[in-house]
Amino acid sequence: MLKMQNISKVYQTDSVQTHALRDFSLEVNEGEFIAVTGPSGSGKTTFLNMAGLLEPFSSGQYTLDGIDVGGLSDNQRADLRNQKIGFIFQGFNLIPDLNIFENVEVPLRYRGVSSKERKRRIDECLEQVGLASRAKHLPQQLSGGQQQRVAIARALAGNPRFLLADEPTGNLDTLMARQVMELLEEINRNGATIVMVTHDPELARRAPRNIQVVDGQLADFTLYQGKPDSESTRPIASRTTAEV
Amino acid sequence: MLLHYIDLSWRSVKNTPVISFLMVFAIAIGIGITMTSLSVYHMMSMDPIPHKSSKIHYPQLQLMDEGNEWNSSDNLPRQLSYQDATNLYNADIDVLSSPSFRSGFSVHLNSPDVKPRMEPARLVNREFFDIFERPFIYGQAWSRDAQDNKPYVAVITKEINDRFFNGENSVGKELYLDNKSYRIVGVTEDWDHHVKYYDVNNGAFNSSESIYIPFTIAPLEEVGTWGNMNGWKHEPLRGYQDLLTSEKLWTQFWVVLENEEQKDAYGRFLMAYMEDQNARGRFQRENFEYKLRNVNEWMEYTEVVSEDNRILVALSFMFLMVCVANILGLLLAKFLRRAPEVGVRRALGASKRQIFLQHIVEVSVIGLAGGLLGIAIAQLGLWGVRTTNSYYDALATMDYTMLLAAPVISLLASFVAGLYPAWLVCKTQPAIYLKSQ
Repeated sequence: MLKMQNISKVYQTDSVQTHALRDFSLEVNEGEFIAVTGPSGSGKTTFLNMAGLLEPFSSGQYTLDGIDVGGLSDNQRADLRNQKIGFIFQGFNLIPDLNIFENVEVPLRYRGVSSKERKRRIDECLEQVGLASRAKHLPQQLSGGQQQRVAIARALAGNPRFLLADEPTGNLDTLMARQVMELLEEINRNGATIVMVTHDPELARRAPRNIQVVDGQLADFTLYQGKPDSESTRPIASRTTAEV
Repeated sequence: MLLHYIDLSWRSVKNTPVISFLMVFAIAIGIGITMTSLSVYHMMSMDPIPHKSSKIHYPQLQLMDEGNEWNSSDNLPRQLSYQDATNLYNADIDVLSSPSFRSGFSVHLNSPDVKPRMEPARLVNREFFDIFERPFIYGQAWSRDAQDNKPYVAVITKEINDRFFNGENSVGKELYLDNKSYRIVGVTEDWDHHVKYYDVNNGAFNSSESIYIPFTIAPLEEVGTWGNMNGWKHEPLRGYQDLLTSEKLWTQFWVVLENEEQKDAYGRFLMAYMEDQNARGRFQRENFEYKLRNVNEWMEYTEVVSEDNRILVALSFMFLMVCVANILGLLLAKFLRRAPEVGVRRALGASKRQIFLQHIVEVSVIGLAGGLLGIAIAQLGLWGVRTTNSYYDALATMDYTMLLAAPVISLLASFVAGLYPAWLVCKTQPAIYLKSQ
């Protein structure tokens, strides 16, 4: 599904060169649920931005669903994002002027989906996240947890095969966070590939596979098998980026 | 998608009413000022008879003694002497032509019930009505026989007919000009032109005459001109007959020339006429020259629209540019504040083009609203201009061309203002704002 080889990202100012990612290599298979952890400033979000085609990388090779994205134009990357990737952000990033229905509708409009089909899909997605009755509400009329569920519905509306979540529970209390996590697990069980950046070790443990980013590198690769709360979720392998 | 963008624009306007109003008002003021000056300029310079202006010609003749200079760009007088106008009209050449000059009379019905009133009148020949396509409500132009033998006839406009005859058919009735009775043979519609193009020598924007009598009345009643009279030669004038045979220039002349061949032929006729007059000893000259200008060429030559008008229009456009610069600043502030939302849209699959279009549509909505409000301001401005002088009554108006031009100019101006902000916001890197929202 996703294959990064020796990806580097360098931010350059007049006097400072910052290596946000260095020789970052990772392969994610279809249907996986991966938690990405690491200290603040380690490059987790930069990795997510690269994976989500939100920023170009400086060097390396990145293949998404068999497409080498390195040579794509900005518009082609926008198309690919629209077609294959769903985003869930820590701050929800709902558009305040649009109601819930219209927020979920945004990616479908850019895809050129017909009005009738848009309505069908939005109703379905809002039903899935339990917010069908709130379709006409504005984001600020909902709680944080509800807003994040709207964001998930928006990410799902385009039937993406690849879901990127950046601290999806970061702004939520424990109960809300658990509900959102359960929703993501359900979505993963339905076939979507999920990469989730999180600071929360408990949430990370619930993901079948964990990776850790330190100083822009995949410093520790930990594979869990089975359910997070079982004995079999202990790490069975730890490798450096180079070994990966 | 366009309707969606319009919907988003409308929401944006509603969500930021103050800044949106400022932008709409700024462009409306700019459009209002620009359209006020542009409308007056347009009315002044528009072709007054577009379907025929290229055929109606004004002849100018070089009939001065060698060594005399005329105060014009090509050293040609703008008017003709009475004898030249009469000779050209009576020449054996198959064209539609008419001499004319402006005069005026005390108009009355020889009745104590109706007060006499001084009215400008024009002495013309019967062809004048055909040349300038004057539509008749009642009757028609006088006959050639009447013109030559019984010239006490008149054509009046609807305005005079309404005033003296309550709008009834006055053909056959008598109208007094000074102390002479004239039989009305026709009633025409009032002139609806913006430029009195058939006589720009006597105020291109003055009101038209409402009474027309035969040119042949002039020697009979010794009708004086109410217009300009110039000359190049010192001539003692002891009476009206001396004026008629003098070299004084005080009449206008128009001729219809259907095509280039006819124009060339008429030009040859004018050259022959000048040589003939020279041979008769009227003046001493070796080289002859003439000009045949059509209506638009004549208006340009006589500078109906002055340089001042053009400068005024240029200044008003510069003012519009100042408004555009202000709108640009406001748009920059508005659009850049929306960068986080744009970041989300970009992340969700919007291309730069789609973001650019969304913002250009918003700018266009503002421009359109500004254009409509600008038309209202322009109407106010034109009303203000009209109140300063009746001279502007027909000029300070907006015709449909200007009504259509206003929103187009407004859209263009707003497009110019919005181009840079829309381009800047469409280049938003989504990653920058997604984390920080």
